[in-house]
Amino acid sequence: MGLESYLLGKDGEKLAESYLTSRGYSIIETNFHSQQGEIDIVAEESGCLVFVEVKSYSYRSYSLPVFAVKKSKKENIIHAARYYLYKKKIRGKRCRFDVIAIYKNSKNETVIELFKNAFGVK
Amino acid sequence: MLVKTFSAAILGLDAYIIEVEVDSQRGLPGQSIVGLPDLSVKESRDRVRAAIENSGFEIPASYFTINLAPADTKKEGPIYDLPIALGMLIVSEQIKRSIKDAVILGELSLDGCVRRINGILPICMSLKEQGMRSVIIPHENRDEAALVEGLAVIPVKTLKQAADYISGKEAIKPHKVDIRSFFPPEPEWGIDFLDVKGQGHVKRALEVAAAGGHNVLLVGSPGSGKTMLARRLPTILPPLSLNEALEVTKLFSVTGLLNGKKALITTRPFRSPHHTTSDIGIIGGGRIPRPGEVSLSHHGVLFMDEFPEFKREVVEVLRQPLEDGQVTISRAHSTLTYPAEFMLVAAMNPCPCGNYMDNTKKCICSSFSVQRYWNKLSGPLLDRIDLHVEVGRLKEDELAKQPDGEPSKIIRSRVARCRELQGVRYSGSKTFCNGRMTPKQVREYCKLESEAEELLKSAILHLNLSARAYDRILKISRTIADLAGSADIQACHIAEATQYRMLDKQGR
Repeated sequence: MGLESYLLGKDGEKLAESYLTSRGYSIIETNFHSQQGEIDIVAEESGCLVFVEVKSYSYRSYSLPVFAVKKSKKENIIHAARYYLYKKKIRGKRCRFDVIAIYKNSKNETVIELFKNAFGVK
Repeated sequence: MLVKTFSAAILGLDAYIIEVEVDSQRGLPGQSIVGLPDLSVKESRDRVRAAIENSGFEIPASYFTINLAPADTKKEGPIYDLPIALGMLIVSEQIKRSIKDAVILGELSLDGCVRRINGILPICMSLKEQGMRSVIIPHENRDEAALVEGLAVIPVKTLKQAADYISGKEAIKPHKVDIRSFFPPEPEWGIDFLDVKGQGHVKRALEVAAAGGHNVLLVGSPGSGKTMLARRLPTILPPLSLNEALEVTKLFSVTGLLNGKKALITTRPFRSPHHTTSDIGIIGGGRIPRPGEVSLSHHGVLFMDEFPEFKREVVEVLRQPLEDGQVTISRAHSTLTYPAEFMLVAAMNPCPCGNYMDNTKKCICSSFSVQRYWNKLSGPLLDRIDLHVEVGRLKEDELAKQPDGEPSKIIRSRVARCRELQGVRYSGSKTFCNGRMTPKQVREYCKLESEAEELLKSAILHLNLSARAYDRILKISRTIADLAGSADIQACHIAEATQYRMLDKQGR
């Protein structure tokens, strides 16, 4: 990973945090690591635990950013989420997975899109 | 939280009630369907998700377990989309009321529209027998469902409309139809016996066959009009009664042949399978057996063109349905019985080149190859064919003439009268036409006058007729006598009937 894209990712996560906070999410944890994967942001919104994956782009790709979360990536996030629930001893709480896409449009403005309940376990 | 809705599954021509249970649990979001769903049921997950979102509802973030009970029978088809979607909306409290007494059926498209499904008529009939009172069905299926009286049929066009109906926001009137309006005063065939030039004796033979429900074998050279004549046979058969129409429609409904154009089939079916059709295609089959051509021609005509070209096993499987008027198919999963009360019309050439019986063209086949061609016909099956008719090539002057003869309508009225007569005679027994008489009934109803008996005896002697032919001739003469309105079988009836046993005369 080049320094440039690392910084882009870091910037994106900062942007996402402030965006979520403004939308009434309270951030619980960022960059939660497990062996199988990582969760960018763990937050809570109206009683629901939300695992957020942040996708940042330096340009607008042709496909929707939400499709950039591939099957293997989803599985990693789900694994990590399971591990999180186990480690924090959370049971019987509503959970969901959101995806935030951050990219620059043709007018060079930064666009943030939030996909609520973007995917689930099979 | 748990919500139950009702749907139905179809097995053969009967349906049983399926409970669709939707349970939502907290935890990581997701969905699973249990209760032996097949692939099309499993795929409903994606259709339901898209339909819910595109109807302006939300997919709640919960883990849904969907159970189709009873859990030990396999569920197939997309008809559970609508009950699953409504169950998910009720459980997530986006619909504020629950529904207890209605059965819900329907496939969803991604935009939230409810699509038509197969088998609505048999499902609704079974549901009524099982005491259900109301059913929510796709709008396109409304006429078909409303054929069942005493069931409140609620047609819905979209998932949103169904949701509004259950929550009480929108009232939908139960759909009603007038069954009589489906029966046209004069059926539209587009073809008529008047179209056929010449061939008066074949037309007469087909009239006899139609009147008595006899099976027919047409033998003739290529281009003599066998197919044209056979196709016109349904136009002289008596119109379907309401019960018969419902039986035929049920079979077409489960096979998905209704196409949404007509809710009730009121004309007799004419099925003409190609000679490469497999035995399963003819008789029906599959993991869960589906009706084959014999059942689709129930109360109608099964026409087998180029009869000797059909594979031997295909022809042999016809024996049971021809005898019993129904066919029982057994598979590991289930054993089902479908009705198959049809008239068999077979057509064939007299030899491989087709000119064997032709006076103008020379046959180039060796006697061995002609023999081999005829040997393809199985004896037991020929046994079940009453009339053998030779269809000759038309002469030049006949071809140039305008079509003559009677229109189908007049012939049909005679046939219908004759069938009524038989209905009275056989009332109380399983038999419904002369072609289906049991040996005992032949003895009882086919009493001959002394003159007629003498004629039949001499026919047997001089034409070298077999014992098998004897019974057939009696049955055909009964029909001919019925057509003539005669209570007894007279010598002239016997004389005509012996004309229809061409193959016996040739010693085949």
